[in-house]
Amino acid sequence: MDWQALALSLKLATVTTAILLAVAVPLAALLVLGRSRWLAVVEALAALPLVLPPTVLGFFLLVLLGPRTAFGRGITALLGHPLAFSFSGLVVGSVIYSLPFAVQPLVAGFASVPPSLVDAAQLLGASPARLVRTLFIPLARRSLLAAAVLSFLHTMGEFGVVLMLGGDIPGATRTLSIVLYNQVENFDYAAANRTAATLLGLSVVALAAIYLGSRSRGSRHA
Amino acid sequence: MQTRFLLPLVGLAFLAQVNAQTPLRVAAAADLEPVLPPILEQFRLSTGIRAEATFQASAVLTTQIQNGAPFDLFLSADLGYPKRLIDAGLADAAGTADSSTPITYAKGTLVLWTRKDSHLPPPSLDLLRSPALKRLAIANPERAPYGRAAVAALTTLKLYAALKPRLVTAENISQTAQFVDSGNADAGLISLTSALTPRLTADGAWFVIPRNLYPPIEQGAVIVSNTTQRAAAHKLLDYLLSPPVQAQLAKSGLTPIH
Repeated sequence: MDWQALALSLKLATVTTAILLAVAVPLAALLVLGRSRWLAVVEALAALPLVLPPTVLGFFLLVLLGPRTAFGRGITALLGHPLAFSFSGLVVGSVIYSLPFAVQPLVAGFASVPPSLVDAAQLLGASPARLVRTLFIPLARRSLLAAAVLSFLHTMGEFGVVLMLGGDIPGATRTLSIVLYNQVENFDYAAANRTAATLLGLSVVALAAIYLGSRSRGSRHA
Repeated sequence: MQTRFLLPLVGLAFLAQVNAQTPLRVAAAADLEPVLPPILEQFRLSTGIRAEATFQASAVLTTQIQNGAPFDLFLSADLGYPKRLIDAGLADAAGTADSSTPITYAKGTLVLWTRKDSHLPPPSLDLLRSPALKRLAIANPERAPYGRAAVAALTTLKLYAALKPRLVTAENISQTAQFVDSGNADAGLISLTSALTPRLTADGAWFVIPRNLYPPIEQGAVIVSNTTQRAAAHKLLDYLLSPPVQAQLAKSGLTPIH
């Protein structure tokens, strides 16, 4: 069992989920509250990572973040190192790759908050930020949980983007899914079984704990 | 009611018809991607046999064949993977002197490649020793034959330990070329077949790694044992080994076997 890779995957999933929630909550609120037609385009763009095969997405990022584009050169100058083949590069890739998994549940959850409540709050002069804090987040708590869980798991299992963008560097970009793939490809099925079983076991335990927590809190409030 | 039963039957009959003209399915190592398609097209023109190739890392193709993938011929980038299939009774080299040894059809050449607009000096063994080389792309040495050759060459040069922290590992030899052509790696140890593609010829320069630095990359072929088109598969293999096609391989970056 490659504990370093497991730790790396957990770190990547945690950082990605934190960034995604910080980005997706305001974005989802904007999509639900906004009136502009252009928001349809924004919503479409936010769903787009679902369309591209992950390896293709990874390839585009490799080119975009590389020294041959002005964008890539800018980022390299800003950070002092290129994003490809680094942990930060994987974070950028993961945030883009999992964006729909954070945005979709939040939009659905926020949209299910009764419009009468939203209207009343707005009449009383609540700012959008306050609406999100006092209405959307408390009432759509399960959607928030779903967004976090989906983003986290999707990043844990992320493979194609990491394969293209990572370069398989132990401790920096060799995530558990890459280790698992390497084991399968090297015909080390016993090790692959152990890695997969660990990953699945951990996920079931963690998910059950989260859902149990949300269930008991939910029933207390009911 | 009756038509409902008839339609699937007609469908089945049609499928059987299509099946009779199934093209020869070739599982080919990733380094053959720039090389093989025109050869298969010439083969079709001269024999009337249509052949289609699937390009993947040799290890991936081996796993697929082990699990029953419907390939007729396997062109690996090494001898180890086809030998593994022979030992498992899944492939053979029947029709040759030694039916338990893969048929070597070409040898691969390892080159050091850099982009022309790179800030580094032109590729040479000295470049490998240069501290300016921050990232060197290689193919996965655990399964890609060119990756193994790359590590062997660096080890012979006594540079492996020093370069190890600066290596980035790609899944197969085509991806290794992508890492360096996209500018993300400063240099890469790639196959001459990739370096000779129009795109990479336009973008970069290469240096042939001296052959005494790594064991030869012998590329072996086997017939997949449960093929239904053994005769056609043999015909394609013979075609690959024929002098004109071997000469063509030489132009595409592979070394002929004779």
